[in-house]
Amino acid sequence: MQFTKRFLRLFTAVVLLASTTAVASQGPLDQARATVDAVMAILQESDLEKQVRRERLSAAILARFDFAEMSQRILALNWRSANGQQRERFVALFSDLLERNYIGHIEAYTDEKIDFVKERVQGNRAAVDTVIVTKSVEIPISYRMVHKGADWKVYDVVIESVSFVNNYRSSYGEIVKKEGFDGLLARMSEKLTELEQQNGNATEP
Amino acid sequence: MKQGFLLLSLLFLLSAVVGFAADDEFLLEEDPFAEPAPASIGDPLEPVNRGFFWFNDKLYVYLFKPVARGLRVIPEPARVSASNFFSNLGTPVRVANNLLQLKFTNTGSELARLLVNSTFGLAGLFDPASSWGLEKKNEDLGQTFGHYGAGPGFYLVLPLFGPSSLRDGIGRIGDYFIDPLPHALKQEEMLGLRALDKENALSLDKDTYDGIRKHEIDPYLFVRDAYAQHRAAKVKE
Repeated sequence: MQFTKRFLRLFTAVVLLASTTAVASQGPLDQARATVDAVMAILQESDLEKQVRRERLSAAILARFDFAEMSQRILALNWRSANGQQRERFVALFSDLLERNYIGHIEAYTDEKIDFVKERVQGNRAAVDTVIVTKSVEIPISYRMVHKGADWKVYDVVIESVSFVNNYRSSYGEIVKKEGFDGLLARMSEKLTELEQQNGNATEP
Repeated sequence: MKQGFLLLSLLFLLSAVVGFAADDEFLLEEDPFAEPAPASIGDPLEPVNRGFFWFNDKLYVYLFKPVARGLRVIPEPARVSASNFFSNLGTPVRVANNLLQLKFTNTGSELARLLVNSTFGLAGLFDPASSWGLEKKNEDLGQTFGHYGAGPGFYLVLPLFGPSSLRDGIGRIGDYFIDPLPHALKQEEMLGLRALDKENALSLDKDTYDGIRKHEIDPYLFVRDAYAQHRAAKVKE
């Protein structure tokens, strides 16, 4: 009895230790790499049904991106003045749009090599620098991540010094100024419908 | 003509001063990796710019893109070589602007690249210099102006050439005069060369603009802000 108790205690200790080291070794770079690899793998599975493929891509990306944080940063002052319902709607629309956009980007480069160059960690934030090496150019892509629980989550993607968040902050900000917050939401959902229709027609290569 | 240029330069200086009044009203929280506040760019000519953007978009869809797609029947390595060749021809402008910014190491590296790639690289078709650690250092007159403190002025969409700014547009004209090629070639030869260069580059590109057209709710604004950010980063380099 005493022995079993002791054994159990030891066992739990070992398991706990093992699991913490496993988590600790998964730094932002490893986590970003795991997600990019997963997305690539799904994209390369050719016999996947469209709907299944889309859902699996969506799940892989959702696990690594922090769309709420991203939305807050993009809307900046407009986030403060928006009500709960508007915020929720924005996050939902934006994550859907960005997902498609990101998948489109990654899809174009499935045959190319992606180098994970380095990670820079400072407190609970990190930058993971990657380079896509094609035959004629090198495209630097940096993922900005924030530590949440055991996970590092992406809140900005910086392609050739152009930050997605900053870009959307100016262009969405301008649309809100001209057409109001609901105007922006309307245009986003219009765009989504349009994209869905294009996909439904299945004319894409 | 001379007076016009003077006026332009004056306008340009003026806008450089205005350009410093950046808006940085919002900071979410302490973030060591935050990109600096969006490089905002004034756009007083937006209606005209949108007109040219529309025009360029149609040109792209109905002319440039189909031609580039046609070029893709040529094997990629050949097109990469063509792109190296055109890039090698662009060396004088890069050398001049590195020099103007007193970046002597980069100037030397560009000159060494020219030497290596024009000889061992078979007249620039290959780029052995890069694998020897001599990387290309892109600089143009717009960046040189920026290096000395000039802001972008305001946004311009040039017909045919695409996104630019007052500063970078003037820079383009200046670079044209710095470049020895236009002096050596006839105008139509120069035009042909540039067109081939651009079409070839487009054939190698992974349909970046197509993605923007498809995914963005306002492609005009997206391109404008990306251009502003990209150029601001280039100037800072």
